Amino acid sequence: MPIGLELWLFAVALGTSMLGGVLGMASGIFIVPILTVFGRLDIHSAIGASLISVIACSCASAAPFLKERLTHIRLAILLETATTSGALCGVFLAGLVPTNYLFLLFASILLLSAQQMLARRKDRDDSSSVRRLPLGMTLMYGAGLISALLGIGSGVLKIPAMDTALRLPIKVSSATSNFMIGVTAAASAAAYFARGEIVTSLAAPIALGSVLGALLGARILMKVPNEKLRLMFIAILVILALQMALVGFGINLIGPRS
Amino acid sequence: MKAQGASSDPLEILLARLLHHGTMAASGLIAAGLALSLVSGPMGMGMSIATAGIALFILLPALRVATMLIFFLRARDYRYGAIAGLVLLIISISFFVGTR
Repeated sequence: MPIGLELWLFAVALGTSMLGGVLGMASGIFIVPILTVFGRLDIHSAIGASLISVIACSCASAAPFLKERLTHIRLAILLETATTSGALCGVFLAGLVPTNYLFLLFASILLLSAQQMLARRKDRDDSSSVRRLPLGMTLMYGAGLISALLGIGSGVLKIPAMDTALRLPIKVSSATSNFMIGVTAAASAAAYFARGEIVTSLAAPIALGSVLGALLGARILMKVPNEKLRLMFIAILVILALQMALVGFGINLIGPRS
Repeated sequence: MKAQGASSDPLEILLARLLHHGTMAASGLIAAGLALSLVSGPMGMGMSIATAGIALFILLPALRVATMLIFFLRARDYRYGAIAGLVLLIISISFFVGTR
C-alpha cells in the first residue's frame, strides 16, 4: 500500500477531529465527503472508516467530561436504547438504499448542520417547561438511523433533541451527546465489522488521526476566536453539501469517479 | 461510622478510566500494526494487529455499557441495570446480524 494514502488519511482525520472538537461536532460529517469527493473512495468504505473515527473521537474525549461530571450518564443510557435501535435499523437499510440516495441524504444533513450552526444554540431560561421524553427518544432513534446509514455521529439530530426536547444546559447536552455517539456508532460498526466492510488500511490511519485530533481539539477549545471559524465552517458545510448533491446526481467536479 | 459502598469509585471515574485506557490500548495496537506493516510489507502480521486495534475500538463502547450494567446491578438499581442490558443486547444483535 502507498504510504502517501495512509498519511493523507491520517491528516484528514487529525484535521477534522480537531475541528470537530472545537466546533462541538463529530468528525464524520467532514470525513465522508472528503474521502468520497476528494479521495474518490467508495462511499461504503468511507462510511465504515468514518464510524471508527466517530468512536475514537467519542472515547478519546469522554474522560475529561466525565471527571467534570458534565455527562448525564443515566439519561445517556436511556437514550442509547433509542439510538442503538435506530442504528440496528440503519444497518438493515444500508444495503438497500441506492448509493446516489446516500449522497443526497448526506447533502441534506450537511445543510441542516450549516443551518444549525448559523442559528447558534442558546440556553433557555424558561425553567418551568416540561421535558418531552417521547419526542427526545424519537429524535434519538432518527439520529441512530442516520448515524448507521451515513457513518456520522448525528450530533445534528442529537443536539436539538437534547436542547429543545429535553431542555438540558448546553455543556451537559454536548458532553452527554459526545458520550452517546460512541455507543451509537459502535452498534452499527459492529455489524459492518462482522460483514468485513471495515477496511483496515483505511480505518487504521483514520483512527490514529482521530484520537490525536480529538485530544488536541479539547486543548484548544477555549483559545480559538469562535466567530470567524464558525462562519468559515458554515461556508464549508454548504460547499460540501453542494458537492455531495452533485455526486448524488452523477457529477463530480473535483475529478472523475473511477 | 461506615460509609456505604466506600470500596467502589463513582461511576464517572470508572468510565473515564476505562475509556482513557481503552483508547490508549487500541491506538497502541493500531500504531504498532501500521509500523510493522511498513517494515514487513502489507502481507505480514502488521495488518492483523491493526485490525485487532480497530476491533478493540468497536468493543470499547460495549465494554463501557457492560461496566454500567455491573455498576447498576451492584447498586441494586435494577431499572437502569435492565436499560443497560437492553443496550448491550441491541449491540450484540447488530454484530450477529453482520456475521450472517
